[in-house]
Amino acid sequence: MSLAIHYDSTFDGFLSAVFEIYRQHLDVISFVAERTYEAEHQTATDIFTQPFHIETSEESARRLKRAIVNAASKDVLNLLETCFRSEDAGIEMNILAYLRKLFAGIDPNYGRNPSSLEMIPLITIARSVRREMDNMYGMVRFNKAPDGMYIAEIEPKYDILEMIIGHFRCRYPNGTWAIIDVKRGFGVYYENYKTHFVTVPDPSYISAHAPPDEFTRMWKSYYDTMAIKERLNPRLLRRCLPVRYWKHLPERSLTSFSNERVGETRPQLPSAAAKSNAVASIESSSRLTRPERASLHP
Amino acid sequence: MDLREKLNILGDAAKYDVSCSSSGSKRNSPKGGMGCGHSSGICHTWSADGRCISLLKVLFSNACKYDCAYCVNRRSNDIPRATFTPKELINLTLEFYRRNYIEGLFLSSAVIGTPDYTMELLIKVAKELRLVHHFGGYIHLKAIPGASSRLLFEAGLYADRSSVNIEIPSDKQLQYLAPEKNFASIYRPMNFLAERKLEYKADKSKYSPKFLPAGQSTQMIVGASGETDFQILTLSAGFYKQQQMKRVYFSGYVPINADKRLPVITTKPPLLREHRLYQADWLMRFYKFEYNEILDEKNPFLDPDLDPKVMWALRHPECFPVDLQTADYEMILRVPGIGVRSAQLIVSGRRYNKIRLEHLKKMGVVLKRAKYFIYNNEVPRELHKLYPEMIRPLLIAGKPKSDQLDLFDTMPTALPAPSTAALPAPAPFIQPTKRAPLAPNLFRGDRVHK
Repeated sequence: MSLAIHYDSTFDGFLSAVFEIYRQHLDVISFVAERTYEAEHQTATDIFTQPFHIETSEESARRLKRAIVNAASKDVLNLLETCFRSEDAGIEMNILAYLRKLFAGIDPNYGRNPSSLEMIPLITIARSVRREMDNMYGMVRFNKAPDGMYIAEIEPKYDILEMIIGHFRCRYPNGTWAIIDVKRGFGVYYENYKTHFVTVPDPSYISAHAPPDEFTRMWKSYYDTMAIKERLNPRLLRRCLPVRYWKHLPERSLTSFSNERVGETRPQLPSAAAKSNAVASIESSSRLTRPERASLHP
Repeated sequence: MDLREKLNILGDAAKYDVSCSSSGSKRNSPKGGMGCGHSSGICHTWSADGRCISLLKVLFSNACKYDCAYCVNRRSNDIPRATFTPKELINLTLEFYRRNYIEGLFLSSAVIGTPDYTMELLIKVAKELRLVHHFGGYIHLKAIPGASSRLLFEAGLYADRSSVNIEIPSDKQLQYLAPEKNFASIYRPMNFLAERKLEYKADKSKYSPKFLPAGQSTQMIVGASGETDFQILTLSAGFYKQQQMKRVYFSGYVPINADKRLPVITTKPPLLREHRLYQADWLMRFYKFEYNEILDEKNPFLDPDLDPKVMWALRHPECFPVDLQTADYEMILRVPGIGVRSAQLIVSGRRYNKIRLEHLKKMGVVLKRAKYFIYNNEVPRELHKLYPEMIRPLLIAGKPKSDQLDLFDTMPTALPAPSTAALPAPAPFIQPTKRAPLAPNLFRGDRVHK
């Protein structure tokens, strides 16, 4: 009977699964990542496949990584990891198909060929993951909390939070800031030159903790004046700045302030209880590092 | 006047400057400060007209003493005037930067008092950002035409990029529309900065101070005076070569002032023409085209229906079809429908396997255009026997679907009448030989250019 492999949704978990597939000669028909935020999609079961859980083993992941580097190169390993972050349905099977060809050893140059039929789609996927990462460099929007911390919420299509941390560490080395991936329920918290991964069960507390301030509203009105009326082009806008980003961009999501006078409507400050809750959740969650997510920058 | 009002007035006054890039600088975050350069630049948002916003683009002041016909800030316009204090502007930049709204500051100004006095104010802001606040973000400073060399040099020490806008692409028209300016006064600061940058480049020590790490840029208004596209491209090619410009921007003229020297105020901005010019600009910057290959004196305007790369291919049937398996990288780049990435993939992949149509599709090559220009076993030979006049209508977009040529049709069923205007004498495609007809291939496609 064909197997539907379950693994813990990390790259190491996936590599361990591939390792086991080779070791036990498993007949795989699909891969299922155990993601908490996508639980509802995974309930569908198939009577012809059998679920099979594979535990993550660092040792086997390490061995497989070494094998990939030997057979292809370090760049290919990085590319596979980048593709894996796309979390696309079926990306695991694509990578597996590539690895099968790579390890079959029929073509000794296969690892160096960027235009094999298995490689080109992976390159395309990696490109769009990197594009999402580049977009996020610009579209993380921090709000200042009263205690001087800067908090941003993002909702990227792909799991790229770990890939963008280095950029922000380089940019704000002395600050205290947090970036939270709302969709995946985890975030990164930076303080005293150190990053911590934190799980964030309820991000709404945190956004209440850092409401938009006067500078946010100045930014919004500046943004509105920058458009040249004679050249308005909504299609181009949507192509460059897809609507899915708008929710977390104050310049697109805030209502216009142009008619209202300064200081007339102050943003609602969160109640004292909500505020202390938010602080508590940040403080408590900062202790909950996520061991399964190895930092990109050890 | 409060800060938000000032920001709106001075942002509004600066928005016609199209330079938006924040690329080319790899500044590290200074000790004790914040901010770094990102070499490919970062767009932070896009305004409702689809232009990217990456820098806080403002004027220091819009109280101008000049009276240039095309400019919104000319002294004869009745508009609200405002001037920042350096402190306000610095605070605004830092606060926006901390929230990751912007990549840095783009500071320009109307001429207040003398050019030197204006330039000093701009430098003061940049200097304080860099030295007092240890700001490592991007700073684009406008060089005010007429400012002294000493000040231009100082600006180069703090800014990442500097620019002087030429605005009108011919000297005569410029003097007509902007009585206080001429080409000499605009070229002088450009040349000065380009020379200083060359000097600094020669000194390769990693401790030597940076001088305009992201180079210079300029911009031209398209459609305000009667220049041809050929004149504009010639001028911009000169900027890329002689002044080592990083970018030349084109700005479709938006009528803001009623002036008898300019097109009437109801004119629509020439957006398509601007778009075609940018396409031609891309051909020069990334596709190794020369300006006089794209246009010449006989054809001084770009075709509104087809992009300049297709137009070049149709004028040069002797170069096609290209055999992707053996042709030079430069030649593959010239095939319509193949971009830089696909060309690199083809060149580095063809050593290992034959490039078939299936590969091209997966790479994202636009076969709709490319199929007429490549030699491949899977492309019907009949396609290569078409004359350029026959291909042209097939390529023009907006045609009804039923007329599209199917890849596997034997022959196009109905051929439109050939239009001989603006095309050279018809020359049939050369039948494919084993090697590509142009450019002998020395390394069998080992060269990947970036």
